[in-house]
Amino acid sequence: MSTRTTARLEGVTFRALITLVFAFLLLPVLIVILTSFTPQNFPAIPQEGLSIKWYQELLADQRLLNALTVSLLVSTVSAILSAIIGTITAIGFVRGEFPYKEQISTIMLLPMIISPVITGIALVRYFSTIQLPSGFPALILGHTVLSLPYVFLLVRSELLTYDRDLERASRVLGADPVTTFRHVTGPIISPAILAGAFIAFVVSFGEFTATQFLISPGTSTVPVVIYTMLRTGLTPTINALSVVLIVVMLVLALASRKLSSA
Amino acid sequence: MSVQRGGLGRVTHIIGEGLEGRIANRHLALFGLGFVGLFFVLPILLLIPESLSLGSTTPFESYRRVMNGIYVDAFVRSFLYGFVTTGVTLALAYMLSYFLAFSTERVRTAMILIIVPLWIAYIVRYFGILLFLSPAGPLADVTGFETDLLFTTPAVIIGLANVYLPFAVLPIYNSLNAIDEELVNASRVLGAGKWRTITKVIFPLSLPGLVAAGLIVFILAAGSFLGPAVLGGPKQTMIANVIAQAFLDNFNIQFASALAIVYTVLLVGLLLVFNTLFDLQEVLGNI
Repeated sequence: MSTRTTARLEGVTFRALITLVFAFLLLPVLIVILTSFTPQNFPAIPQEGLSIKWYQELLADQRLLNALTVSLLVSTVSAILSAIIGTITAIGFVRGEFPYKEQISTIMLLPMIISPVITGIALVRYFSTIQLPSGFPALILGHTVLSLPYVFLLVRSELLTYDRDLERASRVLGADPVTTFRHVTGPIISPAILAGAFIAFVVSFGEFTATQFLISPGTSTVPVVIYTMLRTGLTPTINALSVVLIVVMLVLALASRKLSSA
Repeated sequence: MSVQRGGLGRVTHIIGEGLEGRIANRHLALFGLGFVGLFFVLPILLLIPESLSLGSTTPFESYRRVMNGIYVDAFVRSFLYGFVTTGVTLALAYMLSYFLAFSTERVRTAMILIIVPLWIAYIVRYFGILLFLSPAGPLADVTGFETDLLFTTPAVIIGLANVYLPFAVLPIYNSLNAIDEELVNASRVLGAGKWRTITKVIFPLSLPGLVAAGLIVFILAAGSFLGPAVLGGPKQTMIANVIAQAFLDNFNIQFASALAIVYTVLLVGLLLVFNTLFDLQEVLGNI
């Protein structure tokens, strides 16, 4: 075999392998979406026409709708809190000067490093000690702390690239710090803050492992309901609910990406 | 020159004047640190006295129980699955990253396709793999090809590798992308073949990214709850499952805390060993 044919063969093999890896990565999600349109009572790939009956089933199920409302509420509130706290903290770390700044900033990242099971039991125990009710207050606080690192990282990297002279000019011209933030810094970094809030929403909306400890009867979130349903048997309703989850998460994540790269 | 200030502007101005000089930027950092300290670090630290149950008649009882065979098995399994998953994931991620870094075609689209799964909840992705591996699942239905992998160790490893793959691609891709093309060209001009260039030039230069990727995947995989819970059976129980079980099924917070602390200590110990081999700060810088 000539070297050229060997090289071509290598190229073809490599491309085939890459295609397989992409298939491995993406097919699980695609199969969830595809089988949600089955007319059968089992998540099968629809071969004789598509059906939306499992989505109608979803709309008729009070428990699932309730979970969706709980998830939307918890994720919205915790995303807002996370965006506010994350932004203020990021400004402090980027603009402030203090010793061991880099090392101390890793504390902000701890919630994404520690196993969420440990976070879950630690929080539920702590909340009962300080008598914070389980359900919404526990879920919102827990999700805020879990999504905070993402906002912090995003806003911090945005602040690092932005021209500080604009802020200095505002201060020199007589504006106080809060006015400077409202009219100069804020508007410039607001796409990043919004991007951070969206990512925080996505993190919260999909969180399961710590969440299973924080829920109370009646405040199950969508991932918890999916997990519980999976344990009792496969029905295409799980697919329909998963697809709703996928759509919400992808739309917000894409919006976030658009905002932060702009 | 005085600026006309209405409602909100006036309020923020008064607050701003009041804060001027009294609150510095570094105080703002305390806001988030305080929040994380109060609602994350403190709760985790409180697990230590909880696990010791010093006030009770049987202190350290929980730690004695951790030494029990089935719990030791769960620890060993967590680290073992963590290592195997890391190996599989790094191999797949390296191929993808190499493709992204050195191919000239639609890299942006490929990159999006790799990142998109990161935005989708773990539970949904594990559900997809469950459907894939189900003996009577949609795939078996269409292709007639049945696996009996579900609820076995390979199923758990496949799930973990699938879910954590995107995390591994990003650092490896970054380190491959940073390689000076002149070095690769020089290697080729000086007569090294394609494979020799890969093993002697490209691979060594991409090592920092590979190590960083391995570290992330290992930490995430070893601590996974959903992977073994959805795809494994009773023989695939990992440490996160044992902790959750102790807490949710047996209401034994002392024991759950002891397990959590032993696991964290072991993980930190492993990171310290890792630190003697590679500089952890530098590795984290590659993420």
